[in-house]
Amino acid sequence: MSKYPVYNHEKGRECFDRALKVIPAGIYGHLGPSEGLWIPIEKWPFYSEKAQGSYFWDLDGNKYIDYMCAYGPNVLGYNDPDVDKAAMKQLKLGNCTTAPSKVMVECAEKLVDTVASADWAFFCKNGSDTTTLAVMTARAHTHKRKIIFLKGYYHGDFQWAQKIDYPGILPEDVCHNLVAPWFDIDALQRLYDENDGDIAGLIAQPYDHGNFYDNVPANQEYWKGVRKWCDDHGVVLIFDDVRAGFRLDIQGSDHYYGIKADLICFCKALANGYNMSALCGGEHMKNTVSGMTYTGSYWMSAVPFAACIACIDKMKKLDIPTMFRKLGTELTDGFKAAAQNNGFDLVVSGEPALFYLRIANDDSLMLHQEWVAECVCRGLFLASHHNHFINASLTEDDIKLSIDIAEDAFNEVRKNHPELR
Amino acid sequence: MTDQKTMAYLNMYAVLGTLENLCELDSESVKIISGLKKPISLCFDVKDGPAATLTFSSRGCRMEDGVRECDIKIPVSSCEKFNQIIDGTVTPVPSKGFAKIGFLLKTFTALTDRLSALMRPSEEDLKDRAFFELSTTLTFYTIAVALAQIGNRDEIGKHSASYMVDGDIHFGIGDSIAATLRVKDHHLVTIKKAPEKPRAIMKFKDLDLAAALFNGTANALECVCNGSIEIHGMASMIDNMNRLLDRVALYLG
Repeated sequence: MSKYPVYNHEKGRECFDRALKVIPAGIYGHLGPSEGLWIPIEKWPFYSEKAQGSYFWDLDGNKYIDYMCAYGPNVLGYNDPDVDKAAMKQLKLGNCTTAPSKVMVECAEKLVDTVASADWAFFCKNGSDTTTLAVMTARAHTHKRKIIFLKGYYHGDFQWAQKIDYPGILPEDVCHNLVAPWFDIDALQRLYDENDGDIAGLIAQPYDHGNFYDNVPANQEYWKGVRKWCDDHGVVLIFDDVRAGFRLDIQGSDHYYGIKADLICFCKALANGYNMSALCGGEHMKNTVSGMTYTGSYWMSAVPFAACIACIDKMKKLDIPTMFRKLGTELTDGFKAAAQNNGFDLVVSGEPALFYLRIANDDSLMLHQEWVAECVCRGLFLASHHNHFINASLTEDDIKLSIDIAEDAFNEVRKNHPELR
Repeated sequence: MTDQKTMAYLNMYAVLGTLENLCELDSESVKIISGLKKPISLCFDVKDGPAATLTFSSRGCRMEDGVRECDIKIPVSSCEKFNQIIDGTVTPVPSKGFAKIGFLLKTFTALTDRLSALMRPSEEDLKDRAFFELSTTLTFYTIAVALAQIGNRDEIGKHSASYMVDGDIHFGIGDSIAATLRVKDHHLVTIKKAPEKPRAIMKFKDLDLAAALFNGTANALECVCNGSIEIHGMASMIDNMNRLLDRVALYLG
């Protein structure tokens, strides 16, 4: 008998069936069954009714402790009172106005004072907006065409960032993309030589946190080597800190690895769920960005700026990188022990603040998918093949509960697989 | 954009290769070959392209890769020409086996006509449930083989295959129809039976869904979302197989 009863998702499914009639794929993208890999779909909650702190509740009233944090934006806890207060205050003053609000300037100043490599900030809405601007800026700055990516890359879903075999993508959309392996500076040189030096920029996440494989943290030696190589060859170094930003280092993940990127992209943790993103960079790039034609209807809305300032202040006050490292380590140590108790080999990789999980007992990941599904339908929300996220409202009791549910789920999978005994 | 060479490989192994399944599953075709007194083999040898030998007997049809000992040999000067033969716009001329020309004109033509009728059915034909089921099943095997050919030959398909890790993918419809897409060093091979130990699984709920996917009235991602396509295991393999499926529609659509 399972210690934690298995949830049913009747109302969620009903809503999803309605959605399928009016929304392509019901829930498209990373929050949906396809990209989110809900295997099997019936174990997942579909929609949330409400959220608070580290938890959300689905339409059937089931409660989940959430380690996906809306895939990153929830950094302080859902409905953080300080961030919400600042946002509501700004909402009463004005939000989407013809003349931008002063809070936009204050927000840029906050980022410049916080992010080590930032001398300016350019605001947009999503991570893709900033990575696209960064790539355009690198090309405008160098008058060169090619961009180097590192294997397993993800820099959003705009055409240039997709792959040649994706639906709707033309070979011309991606013909200036070059891919190098991680941790191989010689490979960068080879690409440079093969392309007669026509390299505008190198875009990368702070470490190899791709999906479907164990994540591989970087080190300062590697990034210092890349920084030097870019300097020697006039290549713009772009840090895509959309996913990891602030969780490793409040001053930016480039600072964490002991370097200054030329351009750095932020989004998820920037404003605790209020919709904004920012491209920051060094003074030497500011002139180029000033000349770009790039804007959007909601990019200067004031409410997210107010939320961002409050969020950054609180992240600093709480020293979230230290907190997340500790909480992430404690949680994943507990998961590993629970796995071991049930005869499973759970591999934890990546940074503890963005931990990645994989059951290594089989090479098909089917056991892993079964375990994640059993966790989710008992109220522990994990993702099958994506890194997870810690948030600052997580308590010791939450961690204990999470480990207990994880153990219950391991026990269930073990029972279903007598061949593993 | 399709490529003539890839198309020739598809036509050889995926389209003509489906004669194997036709002679097993279709009672009309079983009847056509039942009159064969002894096995007869037919070899297509395409210059700078695929070569395969089909052997027919009263018990069925078997395709083997390459030029084998055969009764009738049809050399084809180019991939383009071979594709025209399959389209029916060019008549094949054998270089060997004139004495067996009757087989080519009668039995083989009857089988390929039957295959065409099943693979390119009219809406009226599909109202017959048995015809629909056979047509969809044969289309499944054609597509399963086409996946490997596109992953190995087509420039964009090769890109998808480059992201596939080694192992067997179970590609199937329900619990009764299945094929294996075997990946080894980014080279793909289709085996027309279920794998023993799949590393990834992609199963369509039933023949109706499979038909809708094949004729483009359903989308695989949407079906994953609504649960009518079941996936398990190494999802990156399935993701890339899906991209190959998109290319199959381009070639066979």
